[in-house]
Amino acid sequence: MENIIEVKNAAKLFGNETALNDVSFHVKKGETFGFLGPSGSGKTTTIKILTAQLRQTSGDAYVFGVPTERLKENKYRKKIGVLTDNSGLYSRLSIYENLKLFCDLYDVPPMRIDEVLAMVQLQNEHKKIVSKLSKGMLQRVTLARAFLHKPELLFLDEPTSALDPVNSRHIYKGLEKLKSEGTTIFLTTHDMDEAETLCDRVAFLNKGSIQLLDQPKRLRKQFSNGTIRVELMDGREIYLDRGPDGAEELYEYMSAGMVESANSNEPTLGDIFVEVTGRKLS
Amino acid sequence: MTFSLKRSLAIFRKDYKDVSKNLYVSTTVLMPLILAAVYGRTGVETVEVYFLVFNLTFTMVAAYVQSALIAEEKEKNTLRGLMLSPATTAEILGGKSMLSFLGTLIVLVMCAFFMEYQPGNLLIISVASLISIVFYIGIGTLIGLLTRSVMEASVAILPVAFFFSFVPLVKPFMDEYPILKAVNFFPNLQLIELANQIETGAGWGDSWSAILIILGWTVVITSFVVAVYNRKMVDH
Repeated sequence: MENIIEVKNAAKLFGNETALNDVSFHVKKGETFGFLGPSGSGKTTTIKILTAQLRQTSGDAYVFGVPTERLKENKYRKKIGVLTDNSGLYSRLSIYENLKLFCDLYDVPPMRIDEVLAMVQLQNEHKKIVSKLSKGMLQRVTLARAFLHKPELLFLDEPTSALDPVNSRHIYKGLEKLKSEGTTIFLTTHDMDEAETLCDRVAFLNKGSIQLLDQPKRLRKQFSNGTIRVELMDGREIYLDRGPDGAEELYEYMSAGMVESANSNEPTLGDIFVEVTGRKLS
Repeated sequence: MTFSLKRSLAIFRKDYKDVSKNLYVSTTVLMPLILAAVYGRTGVETVEVYFLVFNLTFTMVAAYVQSALIAEEKEKNTLRGLMLSPATTAEILGGKSMLSFLGTLIVLVMCAFFMEYQPGNLLIISVASLISIVFYIGIGTLIGLLTRSVMEASVAILPVAFFFSFVPLVKPFMDEYPILKAVNFFPNLQLIELANQIETGAGWGDSWSAILIILGWTVVITSFVVAVYNRKMVDH
């Protein structure tokens, strides 16, 4: 499958401080790729390099097969959507007026505004002035603006940071729809649940270096200790081996009607991150 | 480089709606109008006085409003959104300048009307004034790009406004201090010189040097603006 993003040995220094150190990865067409790490790990720096807002100190970064410096060309700008931590919306204007501006800039018919607002559950809020919006609504409008022009590649920098679960779910639904339409999504987050929900592959970024990169499912399997967690009716919690011995023991508990619940004892992405980097995510 | 008028007009429409709700910026245009109205009542006898008001219009409307428009885009991180869009440098800077351009033009015409200014050659002074508007918008854009907020831009514009509005007052001292003659080549003084010449019957043949000097300043400042803008597209 075609690589939409390809980064080879990229490094970024700010003075003597290393923001990115020998980072290499690729993102395939249609994939949702998660860049996970705590604040200051280099996530935003990576997005800025990949959207030509920043130049790497060394190494190579390609998007759509061309060096990122060429992304300033009109034909590439039309293919990219960016959501950053700053809304970039005009606070005195209404939601509609903001989106209409970007329709004109991206040559998109204004009827698309209704579609994107429906995707983020804001279809009846056209006339609301941006300065009067809640944080959640603001983030949803920003997201609507980012995919207004149906970009082939969408960069999302912490798309649900500081949002409540209801608003986050609205965003997830919108992103799932985009993914189903073939959009490639590059997502940075420190929310592991978000990464598990949305991402096909994730990379753990710590102090500017990629520590681990794989599918969430495979990472959980790789770091699993091979046990099953069983909660018994009497409140006890026991861990059984996944082999024949554990199966036999589980059968006995089940036969005796003592099992409240049983599930695989796989670590979360958050657990794995802590194990690999020794750091917590937030 | 392609130029899409549709994109520039979209930015202009956005600015118009935005500024119409921004009293801080929109009331600035009243200052030269009030001054013109006062001079209109008391009567104006010299070209220098007309151009004191016109130069104030250039600095307060063209330069100041433009610097505020650009600085606010930077302050609120909206300029980066425009930069990341398919709009080119020319489309963005063109669109961002339209409102200041039209605003300055309207205020200039109103000031001229209030003061009953009737130039000896309307066409020549109009051409020179239109080029001057572009020059002052360039100054405003540069200040907006180099400052981080509207407040900073408002402070940075003050010496510029003072300089371009009141530098003609140094003329009487030029004989005593020859170094001051250098300011004769500034665009605002060239415009006054031109206005004086056309009152004595000068035509295009006598005016081209002043227009070329103003145009030269405009080209230089526009080149600076484009260079600084392109640098601001990338973080450092």
